[in-house]
Amino acid sequence: MAVFFLQRLTTLFITLLVASLLVFLVMEVLPGDPAAVILGVNAREDTLAALRAEMGLDRSAWERYFLWLGGLLTGDLGRSYTYGVTVWELVAERIGLSLPLALMAIVLSTVMAIPLGVLAAARRNKASDVGVMGFTQLGIAIPNFWFAILLILLFAVHWQILPAGGFAGWDAGFWPALKTLLLPAVALALPQAAILARVTRSSVLETLGEDYVRTARAKGLTRRAALWRHAVRNALIPVVTIMGLQFSFLLAGTIIIENVFYLPGLGRLIFQAIAQRDLIVVKDLVILLAASVVVVNFLVDLLYAVLDPRLRGGGHAL
Amino acid sequence: MLSEARAVSLREFWLRGRGQANLMIGLAVTLLLIAVAVLSLVWTPYPINAIDIPAKLQPPSAAHWLGTDQFGRDVLSRIMAGARNSIAVSLVAVGIGAGLGVPLGALAAARRGWVEEVVMRFNDFTFAFPALLSAVMITSLFGPGAINAIIAIGIFNIPVFARLTRGAALSLWQRDFVLAARVAGRGRTRITLDHILPNIASLLIVQMTIQFALAILAEAGLSYLGLGTQPPDPSWGKMLNEAQTLMFLAPQLAIFPGLAIMATVLGLNLLGDGLRDLLDPRLRRLR
Amino acid sequence: MTLLSLQDLSVVLDTPEGPATVLDRVSFDLAAGESLGIVGESGCGKSMTALAVMGLLPDAARCTGRIDFEGRDLLALDEQALCALRGRCIAMVFQEPMTALNPVKSIGYQVAEGLRWHLGLGRGEAAARAVKLLDRVGLPQPRFSPDLYPHQLSGGQRQRVVIAMALACDPALLIADEPTTALDVTSQAEILALIAEVTAASGMALMLITHDLAVVWQNTAAMLVMYAGAVAERGTTAEVFARMAHPYTRGLLAASPGALGDILPAGRRLATIPGQVPDPQDRPTGCVFAARCARAAADCLPRPPAERVLAPGHAVACLHPHEEETVL
Repeated sequence: MAVFFLQRLTTLFITLLVASLLVFLVMEVLPGDPAAVILGVNAREDTLAALRAEMGLDRSAWERYFLWLGGLLTGDLGRSYTYGVTVWELVAERIGLSLPLALMAIVLSTVMAIPLGVLAAARRNKASDVGVMGFTQLGIAIPNFWFAILLILLFAVHWQILPAGGFAGWDAGFWPALKTLLLPAVALALPQAAILARVTRSSVLETLGEDYVRTARAKGLTRRAALWRHAVRNALIPVVTIMGLQFSFLLAGTIIIENVFYLPGLGRLIFQAIAQRDLIVVKDLVILLAASVVVVNFLVDLLYAVLDPRLRGGGHAL
Repeated sequence: MLSEARAVSLREFWLRGRGQANLMIGLAVTLLLIAVAVLSLVWTPYPINAIDIPAKLQPPSAAHWLGTDQFGRDVLSRIMAGARNSIAVSLVAVGIGAGLGVPLGALAAARRGWVEEVVMRFNDFTFAFPALLSAVMITSLFGPGAINAIIAIGIFNIPVFARLTRGAALSLWQRDFVLAARVAGRGRTRITLDHILPNIASLLIVQMTIQFALAILAEAGLSYLGLGTQPPDPSWGKMLNEAQTLMFLAPQLAIFPGLAIMATVLGLNLLGDGLRDLLDPRLRRLR
Repeated sequence: MTLLSLQDLSVVLDTPEGPATVLDRVSFDLAAGESLGIVGESGCGKSMTALAVMGLLPDAARCTGRIDFEGRDLLALDEQALCALRGRCIAMVFQEPMTALNPVKSIGYQVAEGLRWHLGLGRGEAAARAVKLLDRVGLPQPRFSPDLYPHQLSGGQRQRVVIAMALACDPALLIADEPTTALDVTSQAEILALIAEVTAASGMALMLITHDLAVVWQNTAAMLVMYAGAVAERGTTAEVFARMAHPYTRGLLAASPGALGDILPAGRRLATIPGQVPDPQDRPTGCVFAARCARAAADCLPRPPAERVLAPGHAVACLHPHEEETVL
């Protein structure tokens, strides 16, 4: 058990190290002088040189890589040259939007998908199963940004009960802020929910065929009780894996969805930073996002141990 | 999935598959899409970039079945041309993914050892990056455009195919007929070409269909962000982006390109599911 | 007093290849506190009989006939009434202890579950009873804590847990479906002894399903030999063993390993019956065993043989039964 997690932890660090190297290299091959981008084409050569020195551009690539890596490890992410503030400040400001948005989307997709998937499995081949499966096919096929636009058309343009975009900010109060995040969260959650519902259904179908479910029925448990007490929890193990993998899709989704709703979050920040060649911000954000994906999947591995006592260790009774 | 390769005639496919609703619907939608894309090469109701300002933002009518956009361009014509664009980008992207991923996966399974280790680490690694994030990086760093969109989407198809091929090939390497070929002194490459790949072909075809659908979605997303196909070439994602700014004036513009994307992806997914059911009856139990 | 009575129970399964008759007019009686062994090859309908009594047949199964339990026809009961019976009045021990227990629930929970479900016991009381039950089946404290999980136990120990679960509500009938097939030889004897002991101690009727004649010989007073969904031979165990009248029963004996092997002449051990059980979809119209039977004659083919009584407490469904005594 401990060995397993040490292995996972090592893989985690190696992955992030390789990621940092790759991101750095990609940024290196980019044409153009960041100092010239900041100061404009008419800048004087000595000001350029001074800025290059300040930004460390006069050092060798290796030196800059390790300086950056050291900064990452010590929490010094550097300074954005378009925003003029540290990357920490940028991230801190925007994570207050992106994190709640992602959490809302995960919660929404989970509370939609798992009951629907269990229902479909329990009523296999009946009308409700066919209905749920049809819904999931649509959910997978709808591009999330188009779904977002449809939501805006309906709720903001037609009924005018929710805003079409923008973020009220938490200063405006909890509910007004939440209201502005509601449509984006739904748009993010739908495709995830569709996939998760399908995974849940097939996983529950598989566990429903297990001997221990028949044992539970032989004890006198009703179909429903055997389903919820014995089949569902075992079925959740693969579902949790998919949820972990979906986290990275969710992050990708925020890049588009935050653009659709003009939300000042991390996704939009990274998109803008790339467009503005704000390389420090891009490098840091890509590494942070990759790290969050890796860490989430590590946590998923830990969650297995909660769901499955076989992984928890504990000696044999002999 | 891993049954010995056997020649199955198209006729037999048809006889077995015609009773499957998902396969038939998926096939019909996909064929329609291809037909529309091909047709758009030689004919569209209006020239795709013909600007007609007086006729701008018209609702659907007899003259313009799906209405016109902010420049008076015919929406139907542009959606038809968009199909061609979507198909081309996705096809090449999936081609790159399968073309590099399958050999990598087959190599990993055939050689094991450090080769496999490297391929699998690379795979694990790409899973840590949201594909769209990296696609956004690639397209914006190397400049937006259809070619870079293809490369960006293609790169992230490689590990999908590598992983699938390796997994399927590994179990085939344990099978008797492969062992027999090894005992007979055949080389790994020969065995891979003669025994492994033919046996996983159906699996790969199913996966290609599904990746094709995902590529359509990814291309639409990139175009929506302005990183894919560049104006004035029509693309579904770009049309939706433009429609969003006109949402209060002409909401119908936001409907049709989205419907086109959804129908295409739905059709391809149904086709993939149907093919899987047809080629691998054992999986049907769980679907 | 008759506890369980099957009358012309037939089960037809709807399969993609068409309807399949898996049980064909099976009848037998089992009195309270008595024991009955059901023997046959795999696929002969033994487990289907058990599942039919439990009311746990697959959804695609259709039953005709009667299954009377304590005077009530189980086939006429609704699902709710069946749930009240299952685990409470009829309990079952399964073949595969490795998979019969839920891997993510503690054994204490799984034993206590029936008590809480049927008797409405509280968590603490049910847990205390579960500990007693574990002790009763030979899993004493503190070595076998109720907090253990199935993967921490051996196969024989898991089967003891399954038996504890079955005993929980003190049922009137215990159905054991190949309870020892998946176990090693020493555990087999222990588990059978345990089943015999607990059923005798609490006056429980036992329906013991096995493919092994030796298990029946040692454990049950009466026996039923099944072949291809129908009863081939029945009687008290002593009578049937004294004169195995049905050629299939003799074939089973010849193929029987285990304890009986010791008392068989060396040359006759572990023979096999040629051929295999016909598929339920296409069974012959006549005697289902005819195709594999050395004694088959022309009159076996037109219709299935009716059961006839050879002696009090011994009947066989065969036109040409063995007349001579069994040579053991």
